[in-house]
Amino acid sequence: MNIIDILKEGAMGSTSSVLNMAKIIIPLMIVIQVLKDLDILSKLARKMKPLSKFLGISEDSTFPLIIGLILGLSYGAGVIIDSAKEDHLSKKDLYLVIIFLVACHSVFEDTLLFVAIGANGWFLLSVRLIVALVLTSITARYIDKILSKKRIHL
Amino acid sequence: MSENCLKSQSINKNDGNKWNYKQTIIKGTKSGLKTTWELTKIIVPVYFVVTFLKHTFLLEFISNVFKPFMNIIGLPGEAAIVLVLGNMVNIYAAIGAIATLTLTPKEITIIAVMLSFSHSLFMETAVAKKTGINVLIILTIRLSLALASGLILNILL
Repeated sequence: MNIIDILKEGAMGSTSSVLNMAKIIIPLMIVIQVLKDLDILSKLARKMKPLSKFLGISEDSTFPLIIGLILGLSYGAGVIIDSAKEDHLSKKDLYLVIIFLVACHSVFEDTLLFVAIGANGWFLLSVRLIVALVLTSITARYIDKILSKKRIHL
Repeated sequence: MSENCLKSQSINKNDGNKWNYKQTIIKGTKSGLKTTWELTKIIVPVYFVVTFLKHTFLLEFISNVFKPFMNIIGLPGEAAIVLVLGNMVNIYAAIGAIATLTLTPKEITIIAVMLSFSHSLFMETAVAKKTGINVLIILTIRLSLALASGLILNILL
């Protein structure tokens, strides 16, 4: 195998990978823009309030949770910082929302990118969501003890 | 994904006026193209480098070094490159490497689950830190989830 063949393989393979990704990313970004412009995520967050009880977070925390879950960690963190300034989020909520989000965020983009290269998308999405839900609700049960002990400097 | 600025301010509030859907489609397409460009900048060089490794003894060498550990999580040795790129750089880099290597659907699914728990550690940990959270806890959670899911999926799948 000489260098020309390697370059050719690299050029053709990477071009087809990028085109594959573009076919997914561009329509996805249009859908996400629709969600943003129609303010659908805050409506969704209001609907999710029953879930907040299961997760052990305050009702106000569902908005940053949904934003991070769908738009990504940086958007979610931005909303968290804003809400923390306005004093809507307790330290407990902050930890629980971030723990949920590090396990599971930008679900559409990440899932579809992996589907494009051959992963099982439904499996991937369900594992992430279930792990995030279970991890957060378990942490919620013990977080008061952990925060009051302050053995860990939070 | 690659911007490390916090983007909450760019979330538009609808004023209840008529929805300008053309504007939405244009904006969405632009951000789609921007993301495509971001991933192109990463996938292309990664693809070239891994293709080069594949045709030299280097990939085999890397593969042999990582084989004992990678076999525990049901992956071939060369998939270590994917995990390292995904955690140190981002998912785009990992995808570039996956596309270059020959992996089975089972292996790709294991990698996808592991990487979706733990990826872009430098960038995302910096973002999480801005909220005032203890990053050590976050890193521990992410890496343990990734490792545990690899171990479990290798047995289940």
